Amino acid sequence: MVEVGVKLALSLTQIAVVMGVVLLTVMFLTLAERKVLGWMQDRMGPMEVGPYGILQPVADGLKLFFKEDIVPAGANKFLFSMAPLLALVPALIGFAVIPFGPDLTVEVFGVQFKPFVISDINVGILYILAFTSIGAYGIILGGWASNSKYSLLGGLRSAAQVISYELNVGLAIVGVLLLAGSLSLVKITEAQTGWFWNWFIFAPPFPQIFAFVVYVISAVAETNRLPFDLPEAESELVAGFFTEYSGMRFAFFFLAEYANMILVSCIAAALFLGGWNAPAPFLQFHGSLAHLLWLSATIWFAVKVYFFLFLFFWLRATLPRLRYDQLMRFGWKVMLPIALGNILITAIAAYLFPK
Amino acid sequence: MLAKFKTWLKTIIFYEILVGMNATLRHLLHYKPITLQYPHEKRTLPDSYRGMLSLLRYDDGIEKCVGCDLCEAACPSRVIKVISAEVPGEPTKRYAKEYYMDMTRCLFCGLCVQACPVDALGMTREYEWAVYDKRHLYLNKEQLLAIGDRAFPVREKRLELQHPNVAFFNVAFTHLPPKNS
Repeated sequence: MVEVGVKLALSLTQIAVVMGVVLLTVMFLTLAERKVLGWMQDRMGPMEVGPYGILQPVADGLKLFFKEDIVPAGANKFLFSMAPLLALVPALIGFAVIPFGPDLTVEVFGVQFKPFVISDINVGILYILAFTSIGAYGIILGGWASNSKYSLLGGLRSAAQVISYELNVGLAIVGVLLLAGSLSLVKITEAQTGWFWNWFIFAPPFPQIFAFVVYVISAVAETNRLPFDLPEAESELVAGFFTEYSGMRFAFFFLAEYANMILVSCIAAALFLGGWNAPAPFLQFHGSLAHLLWLSATIWFAVKVYFFLFLFFWLRATLPRLRYDQLMRFGWKVMLPIALGNILITAIAAYLFPK
Repeated sequence: MLAKFKTWLKTIIFYEILVGMNATLRHLLHYKPITLQYPHEKRTLPDSYRGMLSLLRYDDGIEKCVGCDLCEAACPSRVIKVISAEVPGEPTKRYAKEYYMDMTRCLFCGLCVQACPVDALGMTREYEWAVYDKRHLYLNKEQLLAIGDRAFPVREKRLELQHPNVAFFNVAFTHLPPKNS
């Protein structure tokens, strides 16, 4: 009984810490995005709230919190209030299987405890894919329940886009799964220890560089970010599926989008760039400092994740939005064949040169 | 054949996108914002800046305006309304008994200033005239004189005390004929 209690307390603490870090990162990202975009466009970004605008996320959060919560006339109230949660929960729940640091086991009050992964389940990546698909429901239902043309169009676009690009995400990571021989993100990360040429993006027998490119592009599309932000294209659809949302419900959609960005960045880092592994073994704490391994490992993981997040902003500052038929053609006629070909070649290579 | 291969290679490695991303990254690294943080810092106005209109006085505090209505005639937007009257006790002199400017319609062309024969109108360098009620932009004579008082602290002498040429031709300083030398 005591053991269960300790286990529960440890898990809840871990979940709280991970959620806190993710939400803080989201807060930071909203500011960082505006700042980086501004700097890339020779602007300053937010400058008014606090020194150099660093308190802007706090002001935004407060504003959203105190805004009136409007439900449009004719909206389906139940689904309208359900949709933001349906978008947010799957985005946050995926972090349960991400390994943020080395696979250590600590014994606390006689309970085995892994501090850097909430739960190491053996179908980790499948679990994440399943839940991100549920996130699409939130978007579609939010668009439909608003009783607005723009929202419905945004929701429909989003449905088509998320489904077609999720396919590419799923197929792109199959190559990695073939090489790693596991669906667990912890095992996949462990298979990439050592030098950077063991990372699956460069790894022999067949480097997953094509899969990586397909994954990154599809991930941008799946999180509805520019240049694939057709579901919320403000010049065409006002704000797409969350046109009618205000206050905290809008904030939930916003949180979901940024949490999804962090999630896909974490997956990309864990699958292709070696997760918490350093490019070279001597760049981690080792030898007499081996007990600090977790510190350098989490820092390496954060560096990789932030590189991807920066890439999101960078792409947004650079590229214009695609047309809808271009988006679909690119997804089905270019990305899908590349991903399929990658699976074929990787399978042959993994069969001919087993580890 | 080689050219075709080159374009194909460029497509494969996303050459155009990389060029664009290089451009944005260069702007990020050599960050030189062109933003002016407006309420905190203001740009230097050009010398001939045409801002808020105002009525002026002579250095002894008498209004310059003689109520001739020429500004009203010159105004393309019908901003100005002048009601002129005799100066009490001085039948040869006139002045503007009431003077209104509807600044919601003003387009700051400066034609009234050019039209004024006694330089009674001036364009200040004020431009922060946002108000909550547009009726606050319907200015009367006292308000216009107050703007002139705070914008032009140095006032001209009365016309008859100025240089005889200026007084004789009765023209504004800006329209003095060039000197022959």
